[in-house]
Amino acid sequence: MNRHEDRMLCEESLDVLEAYVDGDLPAEESLRFQEHLAGCPACAAELALAEKIQRELRTLPLPDCPPGVLEKVRRAGKGEVVAFPRRERTLGRRIAAVAAALVLSVGGGALFLHVQQVQREREQIAQAELEVRYALAMIGKVSRRTGLDLRDQILQKHVVSPTARGLARSLGVSPAPEEPAPGRR
Amino acid sequence: MRKTMILSILLLVLAAPGAFAQKAPPPATGLLPLDDLNLFPEDKLSVEINIEGALLRMVAEALKGEDPDLASLLGSLRSIRVQVLPLEDGNESLAKTSIGRAVRWLEGQGWKSTVRVREKGEETHIYLKETDGNVMGMTVLAMGEGEAVVINIAGRFDPADIGRISRGLNIDMDLPGLDKVPSGDGKKKPE
Repeated sequence: MNRHEDRMLCEESLDVLEAYVDGDLPAEESLRFQEHLAGCPACAAELALAEKIQRELRTLPLPDCPPGVLEKVRRAGKGEVVAFPRRERTLGRRIAAVAAALVLSVGGGALFLHVQQVQREREQIAQAELEVRYALAMIGKVSRRTGLDLRDQILQKHVVSPTARGLARSLGVSPAPEEPAPGRR
Repeated sequence: MRKTMILSILLLVLAAPGAFAQKAPPPATGLLPLDDLNLFPEDKLSVEINIEGALLRMVAEALKGEDPDLASLLGSLRSIRVQVLPLEDGNESLAKTSIGRAVRWLEGQGWKSTVRVREKGEETHIYLKETDGNVMGMTVLAMGEGEAVVINIAGRFDPADIGRISRGLNIDMDLPGLDKVPSGDGKKKPE
């Protein structure tokens, strides 16, 4: 490398000046730039001016971005994310989520109560069935104890005898005397 | 004066339905009002059964496949009531008086005596309530073998069915689970 190549010229120095001010210049280039500045008051003055402009620019207020632009940027961003688009937590979505949770909990509770109710009803029916059989068995027991046949007794008293009496009246004959119930009535 | 008249009319209008509501309804056909007659003291009953309405229909429905005859009979009934009083501690005279009271009530209400047996300290009465030629109720009153029994079955049925079905049931052997099934209404269980 010769001396000419090693030294930075003013033209080259002005090209890298912005990068140096922004801190983007590589370390080796920065060193060469600083060496040039040391022997070149014109370039040093250019650097001083650039640094002053940058300082003053930073003191300026930042302008707000118009809402329409922000919205467009957001929409464009959403459009690019295809796999898992972020859902906005709107009030409607929250209400729907709460309602779904309520329906699930109430529905589950109702189902549980229904199952219990069905079980209780089954037990009541089973108990009632036994009681019905007991009641009928008790009638059978009373019938057996008194030596009566309920069917024969009732048929005799309420069907056979009235029919016989009616026939006798129709035929004009005196009805036959009724047979008493097995020695009791 | 005008205000008093309006108030009196208003009171009459409001009181009229109440007066009608207080009038006791006539006893349902075929039903023996065990609660009103107060035959046996409740605290001394060994068995009290009271099955009616929806429960009776549910039992009938449940028995359709297993016992169609019994299901058919139960489907035509309105209620089944049983009270059993053990004849101990001097209950005998109480039972006799109660049965006599029930007999008088039944005959006063036009029930027909079908069976009446009095023998060796035992007593059995079977009454039927008929309406337009149809049996609408049956009441069995019995005393003997250490117990007094009142059974009332209300509904439109053929007593022969009850006789036939009851003959096939054994009170001592056919009801082993009776004391194991929990009672839904807190009634006493047959022993």
